[in-house]
Amino acid sequence: MGDGMYAGESALEAHGLGMRYRRGWVLKDCSFRLPAGRICGLVGPNGAGKTTLLSIMAHVLEPTEGRLSVFGAAPGSVDSGRTSFLAQDKPLFRRFTVAEILRLGQELNPGWDQRAAEDIVRAGNVPFDAKVGSLSGGQRTRVALALALGKHPDLLLLDEPMSDLDPVARQELMGALLAEAAEHGTTVLMSTHVLAELENVCDYLVVLSGGGVRLAGDVDELLSVHTMVTGTKDGEGLPVSLAHHPLVESRISGRQFTALIRPDSPATGPWETDSPSMEELLLAYLRSPDAPSLITPTAQVQDQAYNTRTVAA
Amino acid sequence: MSSLTSTPTTTRSTAPGTTGTGRLPQLPQPFKGMTWLVWRQHRAAFWTVLGASALAVAFIVFQRSQLHTAGYDSTSTGLRLMPILLGVFLGAPLFAGDLENGTAKLVVTQSASRTRWLTTKLALTALVVVVSTVALSVGFGWWWNLYDESTSAEWTSGATFNNTGPVPAALALFSVFGGVAIGVVLRRTLVAMAVTLGFTVVVQIAWSHFLAHFLLSLASVATITTNKGVPFQHVMPTLPPGAHQVNWSTPPYITGDGKLLGWSTCNEAQTEQAHDLCMKKADVVGWSVDYLPISQMNGLQWFSASILLALTAAVTVLLFFWGRKRLA
Repeated sequence: MGDGMYAGESALEAHGLGMRYRRGWVLKDCSFRLPAGRICGLVGPNGAGKTTLLSIMAHVLEPTEGRLSVFGAAPGSVDSGRTSFLAQDKPLFRRFTVAEILRLGQELNPGWDQRAAEDIVRAGNVPFDAKVGSLSGGQRTRVALALALGKHPDLLLLDEPMSDLDPVARQELMGALLAEAAEHGTTVLMSTHVLAELENVCDYLVVLSGGGVRLAGDVDELLSVHTMVTGTKDGEGLPVSLAHHPLVESRISGRQFTALIRPDSPATGPWETDSPSMEELLLAYLRSPDAPSLITPTAQVQDQAYNTRTVAA
Repeated sequence: MSSLTSTPTTTRSTAPGTTGTGRLPQLPQPFKGMTWLVWRQHRAAFWTVLGASALAVAFIVFQRSQLHTAGYDSTSTGLRLMPILLGVFLGAPLFAGDLENGTAKLVVTQSASRTRWLTTKLALTALVVVVSTVALSVGFGWWWNLYDESTSAEWTSGATFNNTGPVPAALALFSVFGGVAIGVVLRRTLVAMAVTLGFTVVVQIAWSHFLAHFLLSLASVATITTNKGVPFQHVMPTLPPGAHQVNWSTPPYITGDGKLLGWSTCNEAQTEQAHDLCMKKADVVGWSVDYLPISQMNGLQWFSASILLALTAAVTVLLFFWGRKRLA
């Protein structure tokens, strides 16, 4: 499906995004593309710049350098009704009732779908006349999600959306979210710490680390270009015959070695090969910040074309 | 949409707060869009300001209609505190609260622009401030007319000049918008309120100095002279109602050839005859008293109010061009 999507519309294109705070650069030279209609996981250690990146995309922050386009336009410049952002702390007016929060969505968004928003709230049995301040964490998240989805956004940005939920509520809300995304073809970009959560949800991945993009692309494509190699250790370190394959990470325990490689050719030898799981892939990249970064063709911005266009303009 | 209600516990018909059609009842509201949000968010503060002002106006009108002056001084003190209170409790938290709680992020990621949000908040706040301060100013001005006749209070005193005409509204607007800007810079409600308290107090003190030392020097001085001699008991000529006598150190005596003599003239005379003789010898024919007539009050009030409003406009421009970027 990667090739078909490549020709399609870009939901997001980041061109050399950088963000500097007083304490230094949080994002530096971030370039990637997210095709429309994908559910993308945004993964990275604490302080990797995930929240900053999402905030720039939501037009909450302005980047120090670089350009971002959302469906071909600068964020907020054309119609911010196309983007919904659910911030990490799920900010809501505490003294408003749930009904008033939905009213807020209705008053401020032309394309508001009151029924959709009410249905999400109702599915969690959240009383409409309750004050937001009296709700539990899960109920708050549900109301915030109802507000985000009631806009019928084309791009939904979620910053650790499920972090304060119990497993049942987490699964339930994720189900509601994915159903909405599937029905409307919504592009979702979601940051999370829980790698297992991504496994059956995302079909796209962006890994941020140290303020830069380490890995970006279609999940199937990313998994298919990596190989997990397990074998018996032969002398010091990895077998020499493996060395010409680009290495992401290797670990040695006792007489065993495990390595994640990005083979140019079939890596045959006295060892077992397997394709990695998404979690194994992500962990390997998160643990080895020096591994070469990989941005698959569908996730690359066409900088050449972009530059030509700006020169001509 | 049924896919969203995937939980088996969904009970659409018994969901609280819904009507039979499954829609929320639409509450009648006078406001729409961003105005609705801003009014809803700050309605407690807005109603408090409007309600307290209405009570104060009612008290003033009642006292005035009964021709009472009791409570005049404490009311005038209360009115002078009003810009401080409005700045601290209405201006400072206006955006600082949203920036502190993260609700600014919520608002700026809806479809309305931040310019719209800023405009609506400032406009509604300004409306509430102007309505309440103008009502109080008109009421207090009416009361002052009575007080003025009975006690000859000077129009140049802060208690009169700053509490009547356009000055209270301008002082309050400047204090409140200053508080708003402080809140946008500091992004913490309590800190912003504390700093705004300092700011508004400094504005009051600076304004008093400005009034006493600069503004009144712009007024043209009128002089009243008499030629019926100066009695021993020093009864000065009566000034027009509300007039402000300028500078008691000016020589008060005028001689036959128009020269002015100081207070110490003939001070050593112990008796009335000695005094009259001394005055005659000095050729003192009467009093010469400088004063600022009340007719200057209105012009000076509008002039000073326009200075304050220009400062307020400068703060507003700052908020739009620089503060808008910080509203998230």
